[in-house]
Amino acid sequence: MSLLEIDDLDAGYGDLQILDGVDMAVDDEEYVAIVGPNGAGKSTVMRTVFGIATHMGGTITFDGEKISTLAPERVIRKGIGYVPQDDNVFSSLSVRENLEMGAYILDDVPEAALREVYDRFPILEEREGQKGGTLSGGQQQMLAMGRALMLDPDLILLDEPSAGLAPDLVEEMFEKVDQINDDGTAILMVEQNAKEALRRCDRGYVLVQGQNRYDGPGESLLDDEQIRRDFLGG
Amino acid sequence: MVITSVLARGQTVARSGLSTAVEKPLETVLAVVGLLIAGDFVVALLVTGGLGFAEVGQLAKNGLMRGLVIGLAGVGLSMTYSILNFANFSHGDYITFGAFAGWGVTYLVAGFGEADWTNLLLVGAGGGVYGAQLGISITGTPLAVVVGLVLAGATTAGLALLVDRGIYKSMRDAGGIPLLITSVGVAFALRYVIALSYNQSVRGTTSTDIPTYQLPAIDGTIGVNAHDLVVLASAVALMLGVHFLLQRTKLGKAMRAMADNEDLALVTGIPTERVVTWTWVVGGALTGVSGFLLVLWRETINFRIGWVLLLLVFSAVILGGIGSIYGAIFGGVIIGLTLELSQIWIPTDFARASAFALMIVILLVRPKGLFAGRSTA
Repeated sequence: MSLLEIDDLDAGYGDLQILDGVDMAVDDEEYVAIVGPNGAGKSTVMRTVFGIATHMGGTITFDGEKISTLAPERVIRKGIGYVPQDDNVFSSLSVRENLEMGAYILDDVPEAALREVYDRFPILEEREGQKGGTLSGGQQQMLAMGRALMLDPDLILLDEPSAGLAPDLVEEMFEKVDQINDDGTAILMVEQNAKEALRRCDRGYVLVQGQNRYDGPGESLLDDEQIRRDFLGG
Repeated sequence: MVITSVLARGQTVARSGLSTAVEKPLETVLAVVGLLIAGDFVVALLVTGGLGFAEVGQLAKNGLMRGLVIGLAGVGLSMTYSILNFANFSHGDYITFGAFAGWGVTYLVAGFGEADWTNLLLVGAGGGVYGAQLGISITGTPLAVVVGLVLAGATTAGLALLVDRGIYKSMRDAGGIPLLITSVGVAFALRYVIALSYNQSVRGTTSTDIPTYQLPAIDGTIGVNAHDLVVLASAVALMLGVHFLLQRTKLGKAMRAMADNEDLALVTGIPTERVVTWTWVVGGALTGVSGFLLVLWRETINFRIGWVLLLLVFSAVILGGIGSIYGAIFGGVIIGLTLELSQIWIPTDFARASAFALMIVILLVRPKGLFAGRSTA
């Protein structure tokens, strides 16, 4: 059984249905990417797993437990971290306070986890006392990832980690994601930069209009003529 | 945006004063008026002697006291505004509630056995109980004052929580405007429940004999009484307490995180509902205490004190930059000082108008308030 299993999921916001019978799975330590055109519902998958979209049908199972309609705080306790796309740092809190918030559900700040985050993103330690809002886009993205790593989750959901970053930072960001995965955390990532994402991931899903269209190993999706032409721009 | 504004500022400074005056007529007029008032003030004080140091000092002291009470109430309003995203118009009547609830307890402790206890608890609503007779003051009946102060905070925290659970909570998703309108309704309901319970009369609350110290000023003395010191000490202590809460504690950091971005707080695992609860508790307690202190300082109580103060509290909060607690304190003191010091030039009846005029002027120059962008932190 996979770590995360999404089965015949219908979801959306309020009365608006976006996802229509989506199936997905992420294994232990696996790196999975979701790609597809704008408005396909990629982010909605993550938001539904995290309990902030409206669940309309189907099941979501994590580590053998049903989590279909759990509130975010409960989902985090199960061992899932989430890095939303925009506005993903607390701008008036310091870098350190941002990281502390990531471990809110614990009684004390986990010093070992904080050390690991600082080792992974040295710039965050340098800027420890600086307000989150004063960081550059790339640094904010690292801070958001660091915050999600504070509880040492088994799975991290990353919503477009490369969005809005300068080209040289995009490369760095993908490398950081690779490292997080190499250290044993499963990744489910939504990416606009489909080629790069599929090149790096273990498996990929192509989502179109709220439905699964293709899935398979990243490289094979990348090599598929049809997918290249329809979704990856040639 | 920051870069362009810095550049713009640099250019303005670089240009000559004349072209600045042409480009920024508003600021220029305000600066001239400000200089005239300041000039008149200095001349009257130092040259003609039309104004005494003791007189100015006395007004400034009164302004500071009033400002601290407004600021304290403003911190409560600002917290609920920034964390819950709505302007709570019932806030003024929370001030009144805190005043009556707290003073009821103070009367009860001070006058226990001397009069019917229900009458005491209703702050003498039934007649036959007079504050002056009970001899209430911080030196005469310290326990009564302190217990009343604490319970004013505790009961108002309870009220704020009760109103939130019963009324606001179910409407929270409807947005800021429906909540604002609801809060106006809550304000009226609360005010007239208070009027019915405690009646509508204005009555004195404290002893006529409060120890007063005369601080020497160059040409006279400034009277500072024991209750001024209680207001000063309580307000400063509570503001430092809020600062400590927000900067050093996990709950306070979570409050700031929620003020920043509620959705992100939710997906970070912050139990947002619990933070909302504590926001009402802390904000309500500060508000209740400010009501108690207001009455301690004014020495009278009536069912409209909070409502009358509310616009000034809003001005203080807006002036300081809505959402910033330091702005609320600072704005409160500015409003308080303006209310008192404006009496040098204009009749007392217009004092409130001068405070609002100052607010408008400051907003024209700094539309987001003096502490803009430093939300809560």
